[in-house]
Amino acid sequence: MTAITVSGALLDYLESMESVIERSCLECVRRPDRLFCGLTQDALRDFDLLKSLAIYPRGTILLRQGQPARSVFVLCQGRAKLSVCSESGTQLTLRIANPGEVLGLSAALVGGFHEISAELLENAQVAVVKRKDLLEFLHQHRDACLQVVSRLSQDLHFAYDRVRSVGLGQTRRPRAAHVH
Amino acid sequence: MLSPYGLDLIESCLTCKARTERLFCDLSGPALQAFEAIKYATAYPKGAVLFVEGQAPRGLFVLCKGRVKLSICATDGKTLIVKIAEPGEVLGLSATVSGKPYELTAETIDPCQVNFVKRDDFLRFLKEHSDACFKVAEQLSEKYNNACHEVRALGLSHSAGEKLAKLLLEWSSRNGESAKQEPRLKLALTHEEIAQMIGTSRETVTRLFADLKRRQVIQSKGSTLVIRNKSALRLMASNN
Repeated sequence: MTAITVSGALLDYLESMESVIERSCLECVRRPDRLFCGLTQDALRDFDLLKSLAIYPRGTILLRQGQPARSVFVLCQGRAKLSVCSESGTQLTLRIANPGEVLGLSAALVGGFHEISAELLENAQVAVVKRKDLLEFLHQHRDACLQVVSRLSQDLHFAYDRVRSVGLGQTRRPRAAHVH
Repeated sequence: MLSPYGLDLIESCLTCKARTERLFCDLSGPALQAFEAIKYATAYPKGAVLFVEGQAPRGLFVLCKGRVKLSICATDGKTLIVKIAEPGEVLGLSATVSGKPYELTAETIDPCQVNFVKRDDFLRFLKEHSDACFKVAEQLSEKYNNACHEVRALGLSHSAGEKLAKLLLEWSSRNGESAKQEPRLKLALTHEEIAQMIGTSRETVTRLFADLKRRQVIQSKGSTLVIRNKSALRLMASNN
């Protein structure tokens, strides 16, 4: 069974969440609704072995703009704010990431630095996978790689929408769509 | 083979010399053979529109030669250039994968050679070749990082001067000139196009260039621009 890393302040939270925390991706009931998680049984079994589960409190910075990409984070429960930051510290929110999303994927794949920051908006359950393990996993499982391609295509659509709204002051969809 | 636009067309990906230097094109033998069978090599003149924002995706375009302007447009006609794509880039990739409309307009700014691949053929190709799938993921990641960078540059810069200074420093760094005392860069875009890259008017760009020249921060010799005072430009870029 996958061990869970939890910060001290969250032990009460963990107790209250014990019944809904899915330690194994194979038994997760939410899996079919989530783009990345809809893997084949073989891929899921391997993914289960790679990941480590963690419970983080609200306000945790999962990844910070400018830092090297060492891991990716699959949001099992909880939401995160994705933002970019100027040198002077001014922040601009890109969008809110929902459960099922994979954070830090693009930087992990190109092996560079994170272009965005991700901060948890609520206590969250996160599956953490090291970059090296993820790359090996994607080379071994074509279906997982196809899921990643679909995930990145969606991320890119959102990013271009944000370029449009910031650069031209226009949106193609209602503004509310950016935060849900 | 010579095309009508004076391009020396690369007939086959299998014999392309530039292949190994390009992220997407450096595929394994079987994947390359399969790609060769589904691509259509086409030459376009300068100013040709490959696809339009909002159009249903027909397929993707691998840019072999020339450059392509990628832009988004507001309903009032205001245009924002998101990127100038260089040879080796795959255009229309996310729309082709997701089936959603193209989110950008792609227009050639040089005579170009482009390999077109139909959407259905490409999706089948991706399912059959995992190394190609991984390369597509890498291309999408780079595009995503670039889009985030664009949001930051547009949304968090306070003035047109700051945006122009950042753009010039970025170009000089891409040309491998940033370490030099006086970096040089070829200005391949018009003032109008530079304005569309930083979300301002052509008049503002012309005024900013004139001001930078007057202060001897930059100097232009034909289409070559020399950055004479790098620290002054950096100061402008950092909004101080």
